[in-house]
Amino acid sequence: MVLISGTMLFATLLMGYAVYRTSAPTWPPAGTLPVKLVFPLLSTVSILLSSFFMHKVRTEFEDLKKAKLNLDTTLVLGFLFMGLQTLFWSELRNSGLLVGSGIFSSILYGFTWIHAAHVVMGLLSLLWLRFVLKVETRNLDVKVLNVEKFWHFLGIIWSIMFLTLFIL
Amino acid sequence: MSGGYNEIHPEPTTFWSKYIISFDHKVIAKQFLWYGIFFLGLGGLMALLIRWTLAYPGVPVPVIGSILFPNSAGVVPPDTYAMLFTMHGTIMIFYAITPILIGAFGNYCIPLMIGARDMAFPMLNMLSFWFAFLSGAVLLASFGLPLGAAAGGWTSYPTLSTLVGQPGLGQTLWSLAIFLFGVSSTMGAVNYVTTVITLRAPGMGYFDMPLTIWGLWLTAILNAIFVPVLCAGVILLMLDRVFGTTFFLAGASATSGSGDPVLFQHVFWIFGHPEVYILILPAWGIVSDLLSFFSRKPAFGAKATALSMTAVTILSTLVYGHHMFTTQMSPLLTQSFMTLTMTISIPSAIFFANWLGTIWKGSIRFDSPMLFSLGVVFVFGLGGLTGLHLGTVTTDLYLHDTYFVVGHFHYTMAASVLLGGFAGIYFWFPKMFGRMMNELMAKIHFWGTMIGLNGVFFGMLMVGYGGMHRRIYNPFIYESLQRLIPINTFITTSAIVMGAFQIIFVINFLYSLKKGPKAPNNPWDVGTLEWTIPSPPVHHNYDVIPVVKCGPHEFGNPNLTTGRDFQYQTEDLVKA
Amino acid sequence: MNWFTLSMPPKDISTNGHLIDGLWNYTTALCIFYFVLVCIGLFGFSFLYSRKRNKTPYYTYGNKKQHIIATAVVGAAVFLTIDLNITRFASNDLLNTFWKYPDPKTEKVLRVEVLAQQWMWSFRYAGEDGIFATDDDVVTNNDLRVPVGTKVLFHLTSKDVIHSFFVPSVRMKVDTIPGRVTRIWWDANIPGTYDIACAEMCGNPHYLMKAQLTVYTEENFQKWMKTSQLMAKNTNDPENKNLAWGWKWEI
Repeated sequence: MVLISGTMLFATLLMGYAVYRTSAPTWPPAGTLPVKLVFPLLSTVSILLSSFFMHKVRTEFEDLKKAKLNLDTTLVLGFLFMGLQTLFWSELRNSGLLVGSGIFSSILYGFTWIHAAHVVMGLLSLLWLRFVLKVETRNLDVKVLNVEKFWHFLGIIWSIMFLTLFIL
Repeated sequence: MSGGYNEIHPEPTTFWSKYIISFDHKVIAKQFLWYGIFFLGLGGLMALLIRWTLAYPGVPVPVIGSILFPNSAGVVPPDTYAMLFTMHGTIMIFYAITPILIGAFGNYCIPLMIGARDMAFPMLNMLSFWFAFLSGAVLLASFGLPLGAAAGGWTSYPTLSTLVGQPGLGQTLWSLAIFLFGVSSTMGAVNYVTTVITLRAPGMGYFDMPLTIWGLWLTAILNAIFVPVLCAGVILLMLDRVFGTTFFLAGASATSGSGDPVLFQHVFWIFGHPEVYILILPAWGIVSDLLSFFSRKPAFGAKATALSMTAVTILSTLVYGHHMFTTQMSPLLTQSFMTLTMTISIPSAIFFANWLGTIWKGSIRFDSPMLFSLGVVFVFGLGGLTGLHLGTVTTDLYLHDTYFVVGHFHYTMAASVLLGGFAGIYFWFPKMFGRMMNELMAKIHFWGTMIGLNGVFFGMLMVGYGGMHRRIYNPFIYESLQRLIPINTFITTSAIVMGAFQIIFVINFLYSLKKGPKAPNNPWDVGTLEWTIPSPPVHHNYDVIPVVKCGPHEFGNPNLTTGRDFQYQTEDLVKA
Repeated sequence: MNWFTLSMPPKDISTNGHLIDGLWNYTTALCIFYFVLVCIGLFGFSFLYSRKRNKTPYYTYGNKKQHIIATAVVGAAVFLTIDLNITRFASNDLLNTFWKYPDPKTEKVLRVEVLAQQWMWSFRYAGEDGIFATDDDVVTNNDLRVPVGTKVLFHLTSKDVIHSFFVPSVRMKVDTIPGRVTRIWWDANIPGTYDIACAEMCGNPHYLMKAQLTVYTEENFQKWMKTSQLMAKNTNDPENKNLAWGWKWEI
């Protein structure tokens, strides 16, 4: 029961973040600034790939070994994403775009921070799932499904952010 | 889904797991109740200090003044005054009304009234309380800061609430507390929604749910959708304050680039207007039920009431702009918001028609829960109708940010919800604690509260129309407002009277808790599910999950042969 | 004086304030009407159908045809009297009067720029040259003077936090928001002095943010304006940062 209710927490966050995103378009149009796209692009690739592997965790769930392997890949890619994000921030800082320099950088930093905080939570839940895979079997499918949903959700949000913040 | 979750949990044995981190919805409800009553007292005390300042500016507060404000010889200083009204608003809305109405009644009534053994997610429920507790602790801690607690009004409009206007740590802690509170609320809300959808007893359709559950359920839906918006708002505010982003800074204070302070108002009121209904919907539900219970006849147009509640819920999400008429949105937007706002009057009118229809030709028992419910009808009538003046753009140009607004939302949010809450407490106290409350004291409490609060809030409407604006420390530096001194004195006197009568409630509550006569299973002769089981209920509520066969308001059926004038929901409906 | 008269708003000195007062009265009349209905129901039924007087309740769900019709009639009445009427009046007043800003090109309009800051109102009149943000602007603090019977058009902004420009005697207010310019216009028909207040919480001394409105006769206003313009020309210091807040006003 404890664990099931724990997963609901993520559903809550999911809903919260969704609403947050819908309220986000009320932002005034940001000024254009040349931001190097290398790291965000790599981040996008890594998080989408991880989503793919996470999906495989569920579909090939029957074979525990394969599931573990897929989960490990997801985890590695997730950490890679965080690493790339950190590199991205330090690059931004080096190029002179500080947090306080205008609404555009505020949005850039603010949104990526909030997203990163969620990714950290996603990673924690992945680790937790990794642990659970070893010891428990009850309701496992529900847990995998919920974590998977949350992880996909993070990927989708990032894609939306990537599109709106960097491309458009 | 329901079967697997509706299992009997073993009863906790240690003190710790029984009372502190209990997963039992009944214990959590009581925790929320104590929490709410504590903050209600605190917020009320603040209100009295505020009122004292407004009626007697510059006069030391009697008795407690010299202890609280030693530096100013017992007079409330202006900065403390700003802190007081900010915290009064925050505490009353988030830490008093929400825990009592939603935390306590939501947790207590939902599983019992729909025939479930516990919430769908008991652990989430426990976390919800402790997040709220943490949030309250953070808020209280902010009083101890050198620059004091937040003082930018409960709405915390930037740029006043950014470092420009509030350099102290208080506002940051306020944002943090509200964020934690939002997390707590959302967890609770998701839990309620899921519980109502999945754990209803077999046979119970949505329209067989008591209207209380309807109110709480709709509230939870609103909560789950809109509290996160507030969370997003305060996160951005926190980023502005702590990390130097400029979401809400503009003008001369924005040294680098600029955001938009009005944005926060949009975000805040997208949440803020539904919040009003989040608070009032449970009270509406409770009142709709109690009026029927004590008139001994079925709720008049129960389906219409439930649907009107739903309509209000939907409308409430579309009208938030009427809080921002004076910021000059585009005329089209302004007109649409005004029209939508006015539309709410239709479902509200249907409520009143149904409420009055319920007591019409009834056989009314004037027990204390009924008195409080009738009181809600009275004060909500006043509160709702004065909303018309404020929803209209042109009159709002004059009335916006005056005491008229204060009077209006106190009538709707404070008076109605408070009376609804008291009705609920008097009604469910026997079930909660297994003892009856003293009826005479309850009635005295009712009349004292009713007279006091009408004095206070009607007075506020009057001074507001007279042109006295909000949140001013000393209104009488304006010569044109000096004529309002006698009314302000009257308001303060009424407030003190009202406060004094709450002492009776506290005495009654504490005394009955220990010494009240033992409550029978069904002291009010009501047929909903929670009255079929012992008071207080056992840990797992129902030994056998009940099967529901009729609606919650089966009273006065002339063909009843059981010797009772009501039917339990578990009995087959007798054809009339 | 009884409390009823005490709680009346200050005397209306503008041409259009009566629109707001009129709508207020209409709304209030409706409110009283409906509230009396509620009270009749509430107290009447409580009296008639108490347990003592009425032993057996009438068993109904309120779903009979006549009950539904009665409820619908209440809803329709509210819709017709409140929603349609009030909304229509308010929209008309808003679009045709309050937000129909006078055009300085075609009408005689006094233009004033307003800067709100913690905790002071500053008013700026274009000086002799009729152009804002020049060295000969007339700038006053907490002191607004306007001629009688002339439309005054304000452009307002704020330096630090949100304030709200509230003149109870003309029934109007508008927020001043940092980073934006908001507009308001009104005219005053009765000479005298009146209060200007800040209606939006703007910090602890919010209650001290008060200015005075003086309505002059045309003649007195011209006299005052002449003197002030002369003074501004002679004494305005271009280096003084406190005077340099004006902005160009494009007509």
